[in-house]
Amino acid sequence: MLEILELRKRYGDKTALDGLSFAVRPGEVFGFVGQNGAGKTTTMRIVLGVLAADAGEVRWQGRPMDAAARRRTGYMPEERGLYPKMRVRDQLVYLARLHGLPADRAEASTDALLEQLGIADRGADKVEALSLGNQQRVQLAAALVHEPDLLVLDEPFSGLDPVGVDVLAAALRARVDTGVPVVFSSHQLELVERLCDSVGIIKDGRMVAAGGVDELRSRGGVRRLRVAVDAPAGWADGLPGVRVATGAAPDGAVVLELAPDVDDQAVLDAARRAGRVREFRPVARSLVDLFREAVAA
Amino acid sequence: MSAPAPTRPQAPELSSGAAVRLVARREFVERGRDRSFLVSTAVTLLILLAVTVISQLAGGDDDSYDVGLSGAATAAAPGLQAQAEALDVEIDVRDVSPDEARTLVRDGDLDAALLAPGSAVVKEELEGTLRAVLEQASAALVGEERLRERGLDPAQVRAALDVEPLQIEALDPPDEDADRRQGIAFVGTLLLYGQVFGYGFWVALGVVEEKSSRVVEVLLATVSPRALLTGKILGIGLLGLAQLLALAVVGVTVAVATGAVDLGSEVVTPLALVLGWFLLGYAFYATAFAAAAARVSRQEDLQNVTTPMTLVILGSFFAAIWASSSPDEPLARVLAIVPPFSVLVNPPRTAAGDVAAWEIVLAVALMVGAIVALATFAARLYEGAVLRTGAALSWREAWRGRHR
Ligand SMILES: Nc1ncnc2c1ncn2[C@@H]1O[C@H](COP(=O)(O)OP(=O)(O)OP(=O)(O)O)[C@@H](O)[C@H]1O
Ligand SMILES: [Mg+2]
Repeated sequence: MLEILELRKRYGDKTALDGLSFAVRPGEVFGFVGQNGAGKTTTMRIVLGVLAADAGEVRWQGRPMDAAARRRTGYMPEERGLYPKMRVRDQLVYLARLHGLPADRAEASTDALLEQLGIADRGADKVEALSLGNQQRVQLAAALVHEPDLLVLDEPFSGLDPVGVDVLAAALRARVDTGVPVVFSSHQLELVERLCDSVGIIKDGRMVAAGGVDELRSRGGVRRLRVAVDAPAGWADGLPGVRVATGAAPDGAVVLELAPDVDDQAVLDAARRAGRVREFRPVARSLVDLFREAVAA
Repeated sequence: MSAPAPTRPQAPELSSGAAVRLVARREFVERGRDRSFLVSTAVTLLILLAVTVISQLAGGDDDSYDVGLSGAATAAAPGLQAQAEALDVEIDVRDVSPDEARTLVRDGDLDAALLAPGSAVVKEELEGTLRAVLEQASAALVGEERLRERGLDPAQVRAALDVEPLQIEALDPPDEDADRRQGIAFVGTLLLYGQVFGYGFWVALGVVEEKSSRVVEVLLATVSPRALLTGKILGIGLLGLAQLLALAVVGVTVAVATGAVDLGSEVVTPLALVLGWFLLGYAFYATAFAAAAARVSRQEDLQNVTTPMTLVILGSFFAAIWASSSPDEPLARVLAIVPPFSVLVNPPRTAAGDVAAWEIVLAVALMVGAIVALATFAARLYEGAVLRTGAALSWREAWRGRHR
């Protein structure tokens, strides 16, 4: 398990991290989201030891994260980094060996990854000769090639086409299924929703919401209903325990938020009293909604 | 979701020595197969070969001549040989007919031919030593002929005129090899300057390449900055040493094979000086270049931060050129000892001058001390600066940067 405990970091008088904490369990994909400048990259660099925290601690398997643990971690920095003039395969073998793999395993792992990521035919090319998307695949391979026990990926999906996203997602899934925890940051929330077991929303260096995706959606017991009624707008105003969450859609439908103790059948009765009910169904809150609420709070 | 992690074969611990070796090997291999490196090595080799061969061709005529003798002139052979020996040149004599003589001289197979006493043929002109030798031999033949005409025995006359050569006592004899040693020292200084500056600057380029490509963040997540820096300096330095050795082996082999030099102290001493001072000088400048380069993130900014080192090494180079012609001046003696000037000034002074052993020992000891001191500072500057991208950092920011 990876534990981030009360991290604090200041740049001059700008506070980047303000007591940030969260944990990622084995075999869990943790989506790390937040607005630009919220502190995601800062956190990941501290985990990898390329930046030192002012206070707080990073723990791995119950012990402070040390150089040996970092060597067993796969890292994809926000600003991609590879030797542009080095051949793809040579580079991956080199990085695997720098992480402690013996030569034969480094080569076997490199070849398997190139195959898996669909760039086996580019192994002898220099990195700079590859398209941006393919360089991105090599970058992911660089994070995976030493068979890491933990993956920390800063916006691994940015710049990829949908097929590339699927290839990357499958490669990550294969690692997660062997029990490797994955932390990745992203601004593509649908993707996070699809791939992650847990999500953490960070704002101004603090975690404002964290937990399982489903758990977050139903947090506070709030349910949402989408209701379309042939009635003048405002029919739902004043219903006890009900809040109109959105303005009317083009078809006149509104989304209602129900307090935990409100009976949805009572709401249906009220709707039918107002007019003919064309639609009445529960809707899940999307991660985008959660995100907007969390950062607006 | 939280399946227990299956047991995987754990990667063995990577010692920092192993990390240094891996980094050094990458630098050596990647740069060694770089096209521009191979081309520049080949060009340097060609220049070296050309210089050796040309100097051999230009100097070759001085000591050995082929001379044809025909008719009555064949009697000049013993006289010619005696003269040649006295003047320390080699003369190969051949008997030829007058017609043959003209053809052979025209084709360059003979340097000159005596057709008869008092009459010689050459291709362009008869000069220097050979002229003196031929004049002497020809005059002797004509003289003997005249003595005989007057009834005198040439052998008796010769015996009467045969006196011991002049006894000369030199008060300050010139060192026979000094000129040649000075020449080799000059070429060595040039080579040393190019090698120390070139490879030192290559380290600077390598540091900036890692910063500008941001690969340094990937690397430093697994190796320490010190291991990365040490490996880089070692790898590039080994490549420089290998190139220097290759040049030396080829150069000396050709020079010895063509007879331009003899394989003795006149070659070995300057060579050992160049190799030894390359190691010291490279270690010093590469470390300084690396620390300076870590301050910037773009190659365009490199020029600015490396100016101090460039000036010092350029100054040393001019001092070295001056010192190779005035090796025993007091200033040359001082510069040959004080680091980092000693890197370039010491070899020509030691090769060409009058050096006491303690001077060399002191110069090397001071240089090693300077390298150790510089490495301590430079490693900290490098660590403090290498992960900071953006505008160039000041030395001060780099110094404090380690306490990120
Ligand atoms: N080197 C630095 N010097 C000064 N301030 C910095 C530095 N790096 C980051 N910051 C500040 O720290 C805060 C957190 O930045 P960080 O890069 O961690 O954000 P992020 O969540 O990764 O943002 P993004 O989504 O844009 O990548 C920002 O306010 C940023 O301006
Ligand atoms: Mg970021």
